Amino acid sequence: MKRKLLSVLLAGAMVLSLAACGNSGTSDDGGSSEGGGGGSEGGNKLTVWAWDPTFNIKAMDMAAEQYKKDNADFELEVIETSSDDCQTKLTTCANSGDYSTMPDIVLMQDNSYQKFLKSYPDAFTDLTDCGVNWDDFSAIKQSYSMADDKHYGIPYDNGVCAAFYRTDILDEAGYKIEDLTDITWSKFTEIAADVHKKTGKYLLTSESTGGDVIMLMIQSCGANFVNENGEAYIVGNDVAEKCIDLYTDMIKKDAVKLVNNWDEYVSTVTNGEAAGVINGNWMNATITGIEDQAGKWQITTLPKVDGVDTATNYANNGGSSWYITSNCKNPDLAKDFLVKTFGSSTEFYDAILPETSGIACYLPAGESEVYNEPVEFYGGQPIYSTLVEYSSHIPEFTKTPYHYEAREAVNTAIINITNGTAKEDALKEAQETLEFKMSE
Amino acid sequence: MNSNKKGMTLVAKQKAAGWAFLTPATLMIVVMSFYPMVRAFIISLQTGAGANMRFAEPIFSNYQRMMADKVFIKSIGNTFLYLLIQVPIMLILAILLAQLLNNKDLKFKGLFRTCVFLPCATSLVSYALIFRSLFAQEGLINSILVKLHILESGYNFLGNAASAKIVIIIALVWRWTGYNMVFYLSGLQNIEYSVYEAAKIDGANGWKTFWGITVPLLKPTIIMTFIMSINGTLQLFDESVNLTKGGPANATITMSHYVYNTCFINVPNFGYASAMAFLIFIMVAILAFINLKVGDTRD
Amino acid sequence: MTKKNSSMIQRRLIPTYIFLIIVSFISVFPLYWMISAATNTSVDVSRGRILPGGHFMENFNNLTAQQPLWRALGNSFLYAIVTTLVCLLICSIAGYGFEVYHDKWKDKLFSILLLAMMIPQVATMVPLFQMFSKARLLNCTLGFILPMISTPFMIMMFRQNARAFPIDIIEAARIDGLNEVQIFFRMFFPTMRSTYAAAAVITFMNAWNSYLWPKVIMTDNNSLTMPMLIANLITGYVTDYGMLMCGVLFCSIPTMVVFFVLQKQFAEGITGAVK
Repeated sequence: MKRKLLSVLLAGAMVLSLAACGNSGTSDDGGSSEGGGGGSEGGNKLTVWAWDPTFNIKAMDMAAEQYKKDNADFELEVIETSSDDCQTKLTTCANSGDYSTMPDIVLMQDNSYQKFLKSYPDAFTDLTDCGVNWDDFSAIKQSYSMADDKHYGIPYDNGVCAAFYRTDILDEAGYKIEDLTDITWSKFTEIAADVHKKTGKYLLTSESTGGDVIMLMIQSCGANFVNENGEAYIVGNDVAEKCIDLYTDMIKKDAVKLVNNWDEYVSTVTNGEAAGVINGNWMNATITGIEDQAGKWQITTLPKVDGVDTATNYANNGGSSWYITSNCKNPDLAKDFLVKTFGSSTEFYDAILPETSGIACYLPAGESEVYNEPVEFYGGQPIYSTLVEYSSHIPEFTKTPYHYEAREAVNTAIINITNGTAKEDALKEAQETLEFKMSE
Repeated sequence: MNSNKKGMTLVAKQKAAGWAFLTPATLMIVVMSFYPMVRAFIISLQTGAGANMRFAEPIFSNYQRMMADKVFIKSIGNTFLYLLIQVPIMLILAILLAQLLNNKDLKFKGLFRTCVFLPCATSLVSYALIFRSLFAQEGLINSILVKLHILESGYNFLGNAASAKIVIIIALVWRWTGYNMVFYLSGLQNIEYSVYEAAKIDGANGWKTFWGITVPLLKPTIIMTFIMSINGTLQLFDESVNLTKGGPANATITMSHYVYNTCFINVPNFGYASAMAFLIFIMVAILAFINLKVGDTRD
Repeated sequence: MTKKNSSMIQRRLIPTYIFLIIVSFISVFPLYWMISAATNTSVDVSRGRILPGGHFMENFNNLTAQQPLWRALGNSFLYAIVTTLVCLLICSIAGYGFEVYHDKWKDKLFSILLLAMMIPQVATMVPLFQMFSKARLLNCTLGFILPMISTPFMIMMFRQNARAFPIDIIEAARIDGLNEVQIFFRMFFPTMRSTYAAAAVITFMNAWNSYLWPKVIMTDNNSLTMPMLIANLITGYVTDYGMLMCGVLFCSIPTMVVFFVLQKQFAEGITGAVK
């Protein structure tokens, strides 16, 4: 009896599973290629991999809506793929030399793109002559998706950094937002330590593993932990040493709260322990989600590194760009679509701003009225146009495919220094680790 | 004569059936595991990425590279520390729980069993989130310790090398004890209850029965869980990634976590990653076969 | 007399109860936290609130509005159930074969098969992906289950448990004229109910939670699984913790239910069946 039941179940299951396979092969929308999911076979349909339905995917869908007005038969399918999954999928299929499962358009993190370009140069389509006026994007945002003067991506999500401060807590400690505008990191350390002493709150939070603060410090000087030749450059790098000194000094003086992961980072903001956040503009979404802190936040420029000629008060952290893969069967359509929306349309950026709060990389967008509107949450500060303005001042720096390796090596060195390792030894170890990772 | 011939065919039939029973599983493993492993071994002799993959010079340079990789060597140490401390604690606890929950007179057995099993059924995301928040500096554990005046202020459990390792071990024991208990519970069913009754009559106490009867009779299951735990721990990945990200300063990173990073976080180097994977493979294989040789004898 | 006796037994079990209650509490607490978090707003969860709130429906509605929850649940169920059924069949036959008909060669073969589980999945993923892509097995159930249906672990579990299966039964069945296949299905299969139940729980759980392989081969919206859906919830700039925990709850419940339903089976044992 049981045996019969089991065999019926098994047979049913097998039939079901086989049927499911057949389905995706001959999918009814006619768009998906064989094997399913890959780039579309010509026609008017494009597939896109992107993440975050409230942000990137929403913007992509709105772009498709707009493009459809002039191209009625245009179709776009967004396949929601988390940023990690996107990397895993791309790496696996690119490394197996089988690009057929790639979508037409893919969203990628700016910090990780260079490593893909280095490893799989033929996986992406050259967009240099696609019709975008590249000067409409800041040099820094262009550079994330460039190699050998060729453009591969259309910059989309900005990542410009700002210092977000709780004005009520500053007040309590006797400071104004002006006291923190255009200052240096050593001044910041002084104020932050004082604020912590008086209120118990922190002006800066940073993750001890994989933290970005040290990266944006050095990049705000137009420098990096690699030199122009792409070699590891930690030992003997004056700017790097200054940044690390300033940062370890902040840890010693309790001017920065070190947390272990992103959840803790967010918690410090939501539970009011953080009096300030220094990070990419995208922190805006987290901050404005805390309704009971409305009107208490304002933004200003970052501190700058002391004693470095090229130091500025501006940096970039994160962001993402759109890429067309080499699996795209209709690159002209994909290019035209991206150029007419993300690449040149202020109208489009005006439309997505209120929906997604995403700051454009497209500079002309910053001049529009929508961007200049005061934002209630920040006490009427027009943060969007301010952020776009900040982004135009960010210095360029040498990009490296080894971004994450460098960040990890330096963060490890910083923890070792705070735990008592001599600075020279820690930096030497970081230099060696990074050199090792760069070798094959 | 006639019956003799018939007997031969019967034995032959049985033999054939024996091999036939193994065939589907063996074929699947050959195609789905061994073939990719051979391919992975070839990859482990290569460097570069994607279309630029080429054979390394010298051919075993990826294997030599490991000797110079300080982070990888550190990860080996971390992983073996977890293995040595966590596996014995977990397995002993699991046998103990299985024994307690196998008691005929115990009430609410189903409920207790389900509770103990729950941790490994809890989705990884929530489990990681919960552990991180429990052990956070302002987390529940710290607030309890502060309230009991054991600590003066919150201790950064995940931020210090030694305590972060302990948190990982606690998390592993929490998550996998119930899982192992399942095997022991099902193994205990194969022990006739009368054996225990007999022991009771002989005046053996609970502890004596446990070591004298339960453990020896569960031996096949214990061997299996040992091998599984060695395998699982040497390939440990989830806890390192989700609880500590391998930090602080690589103090908790595991081998598999490092292999994963080499493929998907850092500039992809599948050749080197495969070489490291094969080292893990060799380590597990050696430990597992020592285990089988020592324990898995048919008395 | 018996009443007195049983109450005495229960009294003697008090330390056991206390111990089990403590263990259960520690085990269940995170589950409670998860359920409670699913009823709170994101900001409250982030602030460490552990009491239940009143936002479950809100979180649930957000989740279903943003993610194809039912489809992901359906997919995960289909994949996990098919994997479990096929895996149990293939592996139990093999485990039985290895133990009941064991000889030197089969023991050697078994040792070799064990090797298959000892390599990190990351290493074999690229070759496996190439194979599946060529065979056009992406985005489908078959692609999901094939690498999972024959695992050394499950073969080993059945092999080790088959050791307790009385050989007399096989001999008796042979004399009764049953052939080898019939012996397996009529004798071994019903007798080893507890092993099957335990194996089903474990296989179902592994298949349900598997993540690395599905995320590589599933590249369209229709084949999304629950762990992939959860990954989608934590990838944005803002994590809605309330919604996330609501999703995680749906991801955890099925395995728990499967366990609860089957635990009686694997704890009641073979004694009854043999007699």
